[in-house]
Amino acid sequence: MFDDLFKKHGKVVFIRNDQKSSVAEMDDDAESLAFAVAMAKIANDVKAADIKVLFVKPLVYWTRFFIIATAFSRPQIGAIRTKMADLAEEKFGKVPNGDLKPNSWTLLDFGDVVVHIFLPPQREFYNLEEFYGNATSIELPFEDEKPFR
Amino acid sequence: MIQPQTHLNVADNSGARELMCIRIIGASNRRYARIGDVIVAVIKEAIPNTPLERSEVIRAVIVRTCKELKRNNGMIIRYDDNAAVIIDQEGNPKGTRIFGAIARELRQNFSKIVSLAPEVL
Repeated sequence: MFDDLFKKHGKVVFIRNDQKSSVAEMDDDAESLAFAVAMAKIANDVKAADIKVLFVKPLVYWTRFFIIATAFSRPQIGAIRTKMADLAEEKFGKVPNGDLKPNSWTLLDFGDVVVHIFLPPQREFYNLEEFYGNATSIELPFEDEKPFR
Repeated sequence: MIQPQTHLNVADNSGARELMCIRIIGASNRRYARIGDVIVAVIKEAIPNTPLERSEVIRAVIVRTCKELKRNNGMIIRYDDNAAVIIDQEGNPKGTRIFGAIARELRQNFSKIVSLAPEVL
């Protein structure tokens, strides 16, 4: 709606120099998506449950993807945390910011991707999925591959 | 410019309404705390029937100050009130939602608060 109005009545007064072109922006999105899926895969390998990857860029400007996962104990959270940090540094050259110790809500901030690992009560308490309910959820490649029981 | 005896509003849904700063953490000789600093505070007013009560001593992060915050690019941010978010010893927020706009500077140490906030400046 605003685009039509802008075309009719608006004019560009000032353009910031530091804005990227839409192509570069798409490239960055794809790169972050690959990184987010790799991180989600690690969480799946360490048996985290209910892993969700949300594309939150349209809602908040400070990051692109959220990964939300549930772990069932603090040692497990620690394992996920160290595995993610190691792989991110090795393959992608990113160093996480955030919690250094396993916490009931452990957050890893990689800049474009933010990983939240919760214990089950905390996940229910903070209910981040509901807060970011308008974000599009990304389909994960390994969701269907449930282990055979 | 938050110092001991300053009263602050609470910017979350933890149940407290008003705090009074009694100590600034990590600053042995500094007079004032600013956005992103942790303070020890007393709850001066609380909503009835919530887990937090009046006269309880808690930790809080300052998220808004009337004193202006300067950035390197020349931007200056100033809010209408002094406000804080209550955290526990581990650094997790006590409430589940944050009210009002908060500054990007909090992301360095308090990404959890930033991810619960409705607007980040």
